[in-house]
Amino acid sequence: MNEPTFATHFDETVDGALEWVSEHCAGFFDGLNAVLTGLYEAVFWGLKVVPYPGLAVLIGLLAWRLTASRGFALGATLALLLCAFMGLWQETISTLALVLTATTLALAVGIPLGVAAGLSPALNRTFEPLLDLIQTLPPYIYLLPAIALLGYGTATALVATFIVAVPPVLRLTALGISRTPRQFIELGEASGTSTAQLFFKIRVPFALPSIMTGVNQSLMMAFGMVVIAGIVGSGGLGEVIYGAIRTLDIARSINGAIAIVILTLILDRLAQSATRAGKEALHESH
Amino acid sequence: MKTTNDTPGDVLVSCQSVWKVFGKRAPEAMRAYLERGLSKSQILQDFGCVVGVSDVSMELRRGEIFCIMGLSGSGKSTLIRLLNRLITPTSGHVRVKGLDLASLEAKALREVRAKHIGMVFQSVALLPHRTVLENAAFGLEVQGVGKAERHKVAEQALTKVGLAEWAGRYPDELSGGMQQRVGLARAITSDPEVILMDEPFSALDPLIRRQLQDEFRQLTKSLGKSAVFITHDLEEAIRIGDRIAIMKDGVIIQEGTAEDIVLNPKDAYVAEFVAGISRLHLVRAHSIMTAVHAWRASRPGAEAESLARVEAQADLDELINLMVGSGSDALAVVQKGAIVGVVTQSDLLRGVQGQAQEVPAVHAAPIGEASL
Repeated sequence: MNEPTFATHFDETVDGALEWVSEHCAGFFDGLNAVLTGLYEAVFWGLKVVPYPGLAVLIGLLAWRLTASRGFALGATLALLLCAFMGLWQETISTLALVLTATTLALAVGIPLGVAAGLSPALNRTFEPLLDLIQTLPPYIYLLPAIALLGYGTATALVATFIVAVPPVLRLTALGISRTPRQFIELGEASGTSTAQLFFKIRVPFALPSIMTGVNQSLMMAFGMVVIAGIVGSGGLGEVIYGAIRTLDIARSINGAIAIVILTLILDRLAQSATRAGKEALHESH
Repeated sequence: MKTTNDTPGDVLVSCQSVWKVFGKRAPEAMRAYLERGLSKSQILQDFGCVVGVSDVSMELRRGEIFCIMGLSGSGKSTLIRLLNRLITPTSGHVRVKGLDLASLEAKALREVRAKHIGMVFQSVALLPHRTVLENAAFGLEVQGVGKAERHKVAEQALTKVGLAEWAGRYPDELSGGMQQRVGLARAITSDPEVILMDEPFSALDPLIRRQLQDEFRQLTKSLGKSAVFITHDLEEAIRIGDRIAIMKDGVIIQEGTAEDIVLNPKDAYVAEFVAGISRLHLVRAHSIMTAVHAWRASRPGAEAESLARVEAQADLDELINLMVGSGSDALAVVQKGAIVGVVTQSDLLRGVQGQAQEVPAVHAAPIGEASL
């Protein structure tokens, strides 16, 4: 086989296909771009409308309420203020908005699909190789087709982040839903539960810890990806670091990294506490 | 142990030649089993199917506790699940209060399960994230009963099993025996006529098990419930059951009262189980007595009228006490005021050993060969 020729043909085919898609589906991708950017802008605006000390205190209060740890609440507030003092406030909340938007979209898709896969082993078998593929490829691979179809900017960053954030929550939801202990399914059936009752009263409570772990993992994946997406003009801290690396501005890149660590720690801790709070609420709802 | 009422009451649950064959080719396998008489291992080899229950017919009458005793793999757990259609039979009919379960729509089946048949599991299956009270109220919750009402009823059920003060605790704070009491409370909260007990006490230690057996029997009788009780322990079946069925390889091989089964095991398999069972409270005077004329023939001049008297229902324990107490070597057995037979010392000793006299002629025959 003549390799260069083959490679050339292959590349031409891929390029051609991508071009064809971007030409013929331009309307769709423009629409998608507008919707994603719009969503992000709305979340960003919501965070921006509060002056930074206010938002830092609000997040601190939320942390206090969820974790019941005064030290952590105070630390969170001070750390966020530090981000502002480093001159990175806009970038920090921009990254926060990106992560929240992408994760919400990923959960909105991942949880229902995970439930379906948990209930249907056949569907789960279909998803498995796809999820394996997504999780095996290096994450920045998703940036290229996205940039070809959606252009440089927020929408591309969101799509790439979304793709990376879906698998953990999907997998862990499916696992949790499919692992309901046999004897409890029997209990439900013998008690005369309807399909919906069996699902919500028996399957969901047993699956909840697994689902919440999935949510947390998706959130962390989204964080990692949002930073990488700085390359495609995501805005926010990712772009700060990317820009600083290109100009060898070490101080600024370290500032950016500190801001990212702060944001990640706070969100991770909040998400974990929210899981516990959710479980307790489940306890009391009967 | 009580004897069963001889007049059959209303039948609450009935099975008619019910079969359950597990596997994809079940109908085919069943036909081969019936028509060609293949053995169970051949069925497994040729069709990849397992015969769980084969051709079982049984009835649960109102107010009785029906025990199904068998070892693991005997099909008893499958059989009890056929009774509320957790498992659908391959062929045959299961009727609950006259309704053929196979003919019911999903909604009607849920209704039957929710209101007419409660179930208690070996694994207990208390929902770990709910309190004891919420667990007990689960059945009513499923039926859509309001919170205040269902908690009130669940509290009453917990009181009946002696756990009222544990209502607010979580299952993992309770011992195994207490957990199974909650399981029982949950089953009676919906006030079903029939309770299915799937080896409920098997995982408990012997003392707690005996206590729960007695409590269960008492509670079931006082509430007027009927129960099908699965166990692998013949002693448990005898303590609890009004009637007992012994299962082996998916077939009921013998059915009857505890006394019937202990005195007249139908085959070597049953005889082996029965061998270790104490007869003291099972065997009664009427099954071991000698006919009056036979006794008189062996003891010329003796008069049955002069002997100490005992009711035909008296068990061996009572007979021994009486005989030792009266100092005589024979007792007159009385039924409705008339002397119907005599129990001699040798009758009594044979009774303890587990061999009935030839008096109830129908009973005596198979024992000799069976015990070999």
